Order: sequence, then C-alpha cells, then structure tokens
Amino acid sequence: MSKAASRVPGGGAAKDEAICPVCKSSRYLNPNMRFLVNPECYHKMCESCVDRIFSHGPAPCPIAGCKRTLRKAKFRTQTFEDLKVEREVDIRRRVARVLNKTEADFETLRDYNDYLETVEEITWNLILKIDVEATEKRLRLYEEAQKAERNITARPYQPDPSLPSEKAQVVLKKGASQRKAVATSAANTPDSRANPQDGEVEKGFNFHGLKKYVPPAPEKPLDPFDGWAIEPQFYVVQDDYDVEWLTQTKNDPVATAGGYDMRDFYSRALCDAFSGFGVFVEDEIEARAKGLSGDANTGTRSAATAALGGKDVNMDDVF
Amino acid sequence: MKLTEDDIYRTSTQYQHWTFTAAQLAAQRLQTNIQASERVRAAVARQRAPRSLKAENASASETERGESGANTPVLAVDREVNCLTVGEEKKLVDTFCKRALDLGDFLKLPIEVTATGVQYMRRFYLLNSPMTYDPQTISRSVIFIASKAEGHHLSVERYASSLPKTTPADILAPEYLITQALRFNYEVRHPFRGLKGGHLELMALAQGKPALLPTATQSAQELQTAMLALPRKPDGPATSMTVAELEKRITDAYGLASHILKTAALLTDAYFLYTPSHIWLSAHLLADEPLTLFYLSTKLPLSSPMHDKLLSTLRACSTLLSSHPISSHPLQTTASAEQQKKEKEEIGALLKKLRQCRDPDKIDLVKLNQAQKRDVTVRVEENGGEGLEESKAKRRKVARERAEREADEFWGPSLKRKDEEGSGGNLEKNGG
Ligand SMILES: [Zn+2]
Ligand SMILES: [Zn+2]
Repeated sequence: MSKAASRVPGGGAAKDEAICPVCKSSRYLNPNMRFLVNPECYHKMCESCVDRIFSHGPAPCPIAGCKRTLRKAKFRTQTFEDLKVEREVDIRRRVARVLNKTEADFETLRDYNDYLETVEEITWNLILKIDVEATEKRLRLYEEAQKAERNITARPYQPDPSLPSEKAQVVLKKGASQRKAVATSAANTPDSRANPQDGEVEKGFNFHGLKKYVPPAPEKPLDPFDGWAIEPQFYVVQDDYDVEWLTQTKNDPVATAGGYDMRDFYSRALCDAFSGFGVFVEDEIEARAKGLSGDANTGTRSAATAALGGKDVNMDDVF
Repeated sequence: MKLTEDDIYRTSTQYQHWTFTAAQLAAQRLQTNIQASERVRAAVARQRAPRSLKAENASASETERGESGANTPVLAVDREVNCLTVGEEKKLVDTFCKRALDLGDFLKLPIEVTATGVQYMRRFYLLNSPMTYDPQTISRSVIFIASKAEGHHLSVERYASSLPKTTPADILAPEYLITQALRFNYEVRHPFRGLKGGHLELMALAQGKPALLPTATQSAQELQTAMLALPRKPDGPATSMTVAELEKRITDAYGLASHILKTAALLTDAYFLYTPSHIWLSAHLLADEPLTLFYLSTKLPLSSPMHDKLLSTLRACSTLLSSHPISSHPLQTTASAEQQKKEKEEIGALLKKLRQCRDPDKIDLVKLNQAQKRDVTVRVEENGGEGLEESKAKRRKVARERAEREADEFWGPSLKRKDEEGSGGNLEKNGG
C-alpha cells in the first residue's frame, strides 16, 4: 500500500511517462500509445495492457504490490498531470455530491462557514487517508438521510475506491454466492443504522443552523386556458348521435385513419347551434352603441362601432 | 371563470363589427348613400369642367370640325346627375347577391364559400355604394376572396376563365379594396353547422336518448312521448307518430330549414340583425313550427322571461326570412312569370339608372389598381397615361432604379437625404 502510494505521485521523470510499467513498451516505438489510469489505485498503464488484461472481466492490478481489482470500464485518461491532484479532484467531487449545501440553506453566515470547515475537514481526511472507514460511513449515512428526507432516488454514495474497505475485498472474486453476500451486507446496512443511537451517528452529520428542508410544492397540472373554461348553458354533448347522414363519415377510413373524432364535430355543431342563443341584438347592440352595457369590453366595442360609423374615411378609399 | 356559448359568439368579429339594430343599419345605408352621391356629383362636375370648356372652343370653330367631337359632352353638362336612392341601392345589391349565389351554384362551389362571399358583398355595400363600385365586378371578386377565406382552393385563372369576359386582373383588382371595407374580418359565422347540431339533438330526442340539460324537468321517455304526439300544424290536432315517422319529419324540417338558410337567410339582412343561432332556429320555425317550439321548450322553461323574448325575436327573424320573395317556400313555385318579368324590368331600369350615375373616377378598377403598383409607368404608357401623373410615376421609377443600381455597389446605396428629389450628384460624391 505504502509502496503503491509512493509510486502514484512519483512519476516526475519524463522517461517514466514514456514507458508502460507493465509491458515496458515505450512511446518511442509506439507514438500513438495512450496511458490510462483507474481511480481504484491510480496506477498508470498503456491502453493495450488494459485491453489485454481486463477485456475478460475484472482482474487484479498488474503493478507489483497492488492487489486491487480493476474493471476495464473504469479506466480513463487522466485529466491532471499530477495523479495526486487527479485523486483529490475525484474525492472532492464525491464529497461535494453529498455535502451540497449552499449559504441559503443556513440560518447565519457563521453556520455556513462552520459547515464549510467541516466539509473541508472531511475532504482532507479522505485525501490524507485519516479515519477513512468512519468518514465514509458517515458520508453514506448522511446521504441516505438526505435522500429519505427529500424522497428522491439519487445514485447512492460510493466510497473512495482507492481506499481499502472490506467490501472491495469481497468483490475480488465474483462468485454468485459472494455477490449475494454483498447484497445482503448492503441490505443489512440500513438495519444497523436504524438502531436508535445518538442523532449524529444516525444521520452521519449534524450541522448546526441548517434550515429545515421544505419540499417544493407539487406542481399544479398545466392549465393552458388560465382558468377559463367553456361551460355550455343550453346543450349537453353526447358521445354519439345516431343519424343517418353521419354513418358514412363515421365508417369512412379516410376520416377515421387521420384520427378525426366525431365528438369534435358534435361539440362544434352544438356550440354553433347555441352561440348567440341568448344574445339579443336589439338590446345588446343598443346598449353597446350607447356605451351603457356593463361589459368590460364596452370601450373597445363602442370604439369599433364608432369606427364603423364612417369616421375613418381613409379606409373607404384605397385608391 | 366560465365562458358560455354566448360569450364565444360575443368574441366574434361578426358580433363586434357586423351586427346592427335595424335602425343602425338604415342609418348606415343612408349615410353611405349620401356620401357616395356627393362624391359622384363632385367627380362628374370635375370631369365636365374641362370638357365644357373644350366644348365652347369646339362650338366656336364648329364650322371646321363638324359635330363629331362636341355634341355629346354639351348635352351631358345640362343634366344634373340623378343618383340612386337608398332603396334602389339596396335593391341592386340584393340582385347582385342573388347573382353571386347563382354564380356559386353554377361553379358548384360549397355553400359556405358562396354564403361567405354573399355576406362579404353585403358588408361591402354597407360602407360603399353601387354608384362608386360596380356590383358586377365586386360580386365576382367577392366569391373569389370567400373561396380563399373558406379554404376552398380555386386558382384565379381557372375562376376567371369560367366567367364571361373576365380576366384574372378583373378579379384581383378590387380585392384589396374589398378587404379593407371588410376591415379584414374574414370570418363569417354561418347558421349551417348550428342547424346540423340542432338536427342531431332533435334526432336524439326522437330516439329517446338525449343528453338532457341539468335543469330539465322531464325524463327522456316523457319527452319522446310528447314528441311523438306533436301536431303537424300549429294548433292542429295531436298526432301519434311512430319513431320512424318522427325521424322523417325531423329530416324534412332540416331539409327545408337548410334550404331557407342557403337562400333567404343569405339574401336578406338576417346576418346583420340576428345571431346565427337565431337564424337557424327561425328557419326551423318556418320549416316546422310545432317541432321547433317543442325543441325550444326543452331548452328554456316556458316560465323563463327569456322564452318570450326569444320567441318574439325568432318570429321577427322568420318574418324577415319569409319576406324574401325568391326562396322562402321552395315547394310552391317562387313567383309567377308575370311577377318575374316585372322584376326583370325593374332591375333593368335600375341598371340603366346606375350607368348614368357611376362615379367616373372609379369605373376602371384595374387601371386604378395598377396605378398603385410599382411598375406603374409601363402600364400607364399602355393605357394612355391616365392612371397617375406621368411625370411623377417616371420620377419614382428612375429613383427606384437608381437605388437598385446603387445597392449592388460595394458601399451600398447612398443614405437618403432630405433634398433627395433631383440630387443627381450623390453618386459621384459617394462612389469614390
Ligand atoms: Zn503496457
Ligand atoms: Zn494498482
């Protein structure tokens, strides 16, 4: 472990970079050689080694002294030249996903600063590998608690794979029974947490001054008409009408294949039949002309009438 | 917030801009007539002034020139223009509406197209006089606009070729004019679909399976029984029909009402004075009164104050519809031959009178329309240079051509200056 750790940051020399520690082939001979790392142990190796060793499933790291099980899918090109930085960024990303409060979530700035302090402490614990087991557990518990509170399904917190844990050792050999064992142990975790211990352990962390989480109000169903609805006074539309002149259209594939719904026609026909049923022109237009009607639209309507009265002579004469 | 079907109608342009009381309608027609008459007189006077001058010159040198050039204008000066009255105008418009309807039939256009066209025509002549714009030309153009508004595609070439002595330009020339007179309100609410809706409900009632209003007091069964006993004629003896007979009766009533809607409703002022709902109900009332009254009773209780008001409105509307001589009762022959002949003579006289009092400025709409367009000079030369002042048109064309030429240059055209007219030096100054 210490050996591995010392090698990770150690790659300063340029010749180290150019030679794969596994197959010893150099970039001099193969200019297209790419190096990949796996966040399990951050050991570098060339692409062809990765293909060769891990194509048939998880296998232990070929670097001497490193026994971690690596999977091909996790290999990637490194972003930072210094693998120490690469690892720190990974850790910070993982921690920030769980401890993701903002200033607005706290009651005072002081509380927020305390929180940031705690987060930094945790991060550095993980980076410097101090008290890893306990910290990871607390992070996991905190995430579970947050999830339960918000009732969301997020990806579960994954502990730092570059650090040893009993789980990682178990997965080493993938037999069905062992996988089952992992599953049960994972299932057991909440049980152990459910034991009423003191609040901090149960929730992982307990930050002072954190505002209570208020779930956002459920979204209202979309109302495209902004509360307006058409409520006919004089008719009720039926689902179907049995009339001879409609049968042809009803059974005509040309009409039905396009998704034409006869009910659209019914409601439109009935709406047409009664729109204006209760509009008495003599009364309403009279009132409109005099501007006496209590309607909100009176202004525009009487304006329109006035316009019709021939005042806009320009309109009459285009030429 | 609730909207009733009446509110929906109130949002229509037909209600907002094209519905009037009878008094408003008469006042509007009178005003249009007065304005048009004044214009015609003024225009005729303007046109005659130079001619009469010329005529005097001509009579001075009559010995050389003979009679040919001078006589007619001199005669015209003496006669005061005899303008159409409001009634005559309306009669003319009605006649040409009928002709537009016949034209629609002849071209086998859907009734919606023709009906919309006829309504456009009526709306147009509410604000314009036949003296100003020739109803013949307008009626043809109006049908074409309606075919576009109603989504019934018809190419202008085909349309024009199916009419005698008509070119596409004749159809298109008054288009913008009509559109403006319509206030760009293309939508016309027809009672046709409403009638279908009513028919559907009546059939459901007859079959004993209607969807009743929440306020209904009688059950579907009771209603059906009452319906089967409806008398044939108002105040007639009760009958007992079978359901099939009743259905036939409803369908007959639909056919008759539909015919009224397609003829009389279009050729009267019904669209201006009543809502489509009232129009179709009135037509149905004419077609089968007991049935319609029964139908209304399922919608409004007899005790409702609206019921009486509605009924009086419907009766007034049906009187208007049946007052139209042509088509209120298709079953009996519309008019005797003698009446038709008299009618024809009357129209002929009106047309003759119209020819005497046309607004001389507005006779050639095609030329007027072209004068507005960009390529005016070409046409003006063809037509003898009368449409627009020739020099003005030429200047416009030269300016446009220069702008086009300059737009192709590297730095684009020169900026417009206030003394734009006649500043030819711009090009040299800016070009370098
Ligand atoms: Zn290698
Ligand atoms: Zn390794």
